[in-house]
Amino acid sequence: MLTESTVTFIALGAIFAFSFYAVLYAGQLSLGQAGFASVAAYTSVLLAPDPAVVGDLPALLVALVIGTTAGAAAAIVLGLPTMHLRGVFLAIATLGFAEAVRIFALNAEWTGGAQGMSVPKIVTPAIAWIVLAVVAYWFWRSGPTRYGRALEAIREDELAAGAMGIDVGRHRLGAFGTAGAVAGLYGVLWAYTVRLVSPADFGFTAAIDGLVTAMVGGTTVFVGPVVGSAFLTVIPEVQRALGVEAGWIRPFVAGLLLLVVILFLPGGLAGWVPRRIRVPDISGDGDLDADHPELRTREHAPRGDVVVRLAGLSKDYGGVHAVRGVHLEIRSGELLGLIGPNGAGKTTLVNMVSGLVAPSSGEATVLGVTAGRAPVHRVAAAGVSRTFQHSKLFGRLSALENVLVGGHLVIRPTLVRRLLWLPSARRDERAALAHAARCLRRVGMLDAATTRANALSYGDQRRLEIARALAADPSLIVLDEPAAGMNQVEAGELARLIRSLADDGLAVLLIEHNVGLVRQICDRVVVLDFGEVIASGAPTDVAADPRVVEAYLGTEA
Amino acid sequence: MAHRGPALLAATVLTVALTACASEGGGSGGSLVGEGTGDDCTIASPVPVGAALSLTGAAASYGESQQKGLELAAEQLNAKGGVEYELTVEDDQTDPKQGIAVFEQLTAADGASVIIGPTLSTAAFQAQPIAQDEGVPVLAISNTVDGITAQGEYIFRDSLTESQVIPQTVAAAKAEYGLEKVVVMHANDDALAEAGGEVFAGALDAEGIEVADTLTFSVADTDFRALLTEAKAADPDALVVSSLIEAAIPLVTQARELGIDVPIVGGNGFNNPKLMADAGDAAEGVVVGAAWNSSSDNPENTAFLADFEEKYGAQPDQFAAQAYTGLMLVDAAVRASCSGERDAIKEGLGGIEGAATVLGELTINDERDAEHEAVVQVVEDGQFAVLD
Repeated sequence: MLTESTVTFIALGAIFAFSFYAVLYAGQLSLGQAGFASVAAYTSVLLAPDPAVVGDLPALLVALVIGTTAGAAAAIVLGLPTMHLRGVFLAIATLGFAEAVRIFALNAEWTGGAQGMSVPKIVTPAIAWIVLAVVAYWFWRSGPTRYGRALEAIREDELAAGAMGIDVGRHRLGAFGTAGAVAGLYGVLWAYTVRLVSPADFGFTAAIDGLVTAMVGGTTVFVGPVVGSAFLTVIPEVQRALGVEAGWIRPFVAGLLLLVVILFLPGGLAGWVPRRIRVPDISGDGDLDADHPELRTREHAPRGDVVVRLAGLSKDYGGVHAVRGVHLEIRSGELLGLIGPNGAGKTTLVNMVSGLVAPSSGEATVLGVTAGRAPVHRVAAAGVSRTFQHSKLFGRLSALENVLVGGHLVIRPTLVRRLLWLPSARRDERAALAHAARCLRRVGMLDAATTRANALSYGDQRRLEIARALAADPSLIVLDEPAAGMNQVEAGELARLIRSLADDGLAVLLIEHNVGLVRQICDRVVVLDFGEVIASGAPTDVAADPRVVEAYLGTEA
Repeated sequence: MAHRGPALLAATVLTVALTACASEGGGSGGSLVGEGTGDDCTIASPVPVGAALSLTGAAASYGESQQKGLELAAEQLNAKGGVEYELTVEDDQTDPKQGIAVFEQLTAADGASVIIGPTLSTAAFQAQPIAQDEGVPVLAISNTVDGITAQGEYIFRDSLTESQVIPQTVAAAKAEYGLEKVVVMHANDDALAEAGGEVFAGALDAEGIEVADTLTFSVADTDFRALLTEAKAADPDALVVSSLIEAAIPLVTQARELGIDVPIVGGNGFNNPKLMADAGDAAEGVVVGAAWNSSSDNPENTAFLADFEEKYGAQPDQFAAQAYTGLMLVDAAVRASCSGERDAIKEGLGGIEGAATVLGELTINDERDAEHEAVVQVVEDGQFAVLD
């Protein structure tokens, strides 16, 4: 039943599915892979030497190199103008590219039009599986690296990923280029397997087949595409062997099986493969400040230095003045409370400080960079880390993995070294894990290290956000309502934790509704109302300020 | 729901394992070499004949016709006795991967003695080399592009190529209508339609007919008004069209709506009774070259028409006729040396000369292509009639 070609096509289908996996892993939906494969197949068939002259294997190797390069180049050329597109829009744009390539191949002289070009058959099952092994190796090794985790973080929450210092654009383009390279491999192998390169094989149906294979297999575990391809390739063979009469029943049954898989295994066939998460043993390990040579910890500003300077900072949304002319300084080791009624502009203000929102006027200088003008990940790289008012955790990642992403700026890149099995990569990854575990322990969540973030209780999610923010070894940490949803005991513990951060020398900007908590721990309090600073000073003074009382309780009639 | 995963996978693995066991039991027992010659030939074990057809997918309408033609032929040959044919029809789903897989299965050691198909020429270039490498004779029954039989000495065909039919069509149309200037329209995203367009261009050139314009479209197009308006502006003596039947029907209909009442000369794709059924009056005056003359009164054809009508309650088309002829030729090849072995069938097919078939008197030439009379037809009163 498993003839030579079936075995080959399982490998080919898996390689093509990997090109979808590469982008889906980073949360991008691209349908341009058939176009990349087409570009690669035509280019390599045109440029590669004649197998009759140089021998089969050398010719194929040259063709594969050409195809991979052509595929990646096509992806990057397409990616540069389209990377800002999301979801369905990216899918449509990339589909448009694939269609343009198809039409070009149909009409250009040298491509042989609809009849295509004939190609010698060189690919054997062994060759196809070796290439598949190389591709799978790449995705296996790159998964648990800084790069792989960054892609997963982008998939789960792009905004939060940026705030953790991940250069979202570059990583997305990287994933896209990888997809192009892998699709290129597929295109070349396909041509040298079916003896023909013709536009019909790289049309819309091909793109959908690849996407379906990737989704059926599963897009979060690297074996997914292989399992998906084996499943879909073997279905017709099984039916043929079972003697199901040729005709409409076979595709009908195949469609039903597909439906069953998608309905009952939303994570794909490989979805039940458990994610292996090792929690390192850090008992007896030093605290966060101890020297860890594998980590790239930063030089913090000395206590008392100004780290944030806001000069006349304003933000208008249409006619609404969310923030008006705010002047503010925050120093290292200072715990600054920012309070104010709902809609006072607190979150808009901290969004400007962390570089997520550009100010309408005024300037925010944060740790030497101009927030709002520099991209978010630059501001993060300067030493700003934050939590969000509405939890922005990476939901499908474990608590430990969330914190590992938080440590993006501290952890050294390990991708290349992991691919080469260099022992230093393992040391660095271990150090990263230990660092993440220490951050978790600091917020008292080490026990929940392997729990998926979206399965945590609300209070735990808030604490995990703090751990994730701490992992970046920040100089300024912005906490947006961290105590929301916590009970008295939890809030008390949190208060002690926040105080200790400032005592360690961090600048802390705390937005909080719980005025009691703010009064208890803050060095200084700023009150915002209708976007303006109405009071500033020591907590007790501010609490007594009549304007503050008025803002909170309303004017007497 | 994660716990259902292992169960589902286990079920799949089990099915695969079971079927793998089942297929090992196959294989033919007795000898394929028989005694006697010609009509008296008797072979003990049935001769396995594999057919790779497109029963589903884009080319399904052709594949289904071919299946009917083959099954009718197998039924009649088995009723005749002496040699029994074990016909296995496999579906390539109009998918190159499936086409290759089917050919690999049929060429396995215990597989077919001869393979018929596949339906489409593109699939043929991808799959037939497998049979060539394994030394299994192939008889193509509908591949019309050049180069099919050039793939190797095991590849034969009983279908006339476009290059055989189209020049006759163009010559007949020129003689009948005095064509001097035409507009060529062809689909450029389908291998058959594109190849047909090229052959038309060559044939028109050879006949000294001016091509005023060449317009291309997609097989998936349904609206041809803009192109037809352009064609009409050139004031041609005829439209020459190469496309599949799906595009041919709206094209012909819209041409007539726009007042283009010159003859429309079509390629092999037009050779389908659906043209008259769906385009109705608009199809009148369409000229099509064909490998099969449905109104031929040779005895093989009259019998075929009657038998097909009786078995299926419908008229056969050219695909059915060529498929039927295909199995009949295989029978002739087997009986020539009274052997169902692969190489004997190969020799037998190569030696076919002047066989009386549904398609007329048929010879397999040295290039392993079929030679028989083509017919140029014109649609008259909703029927294909021979253009004299």
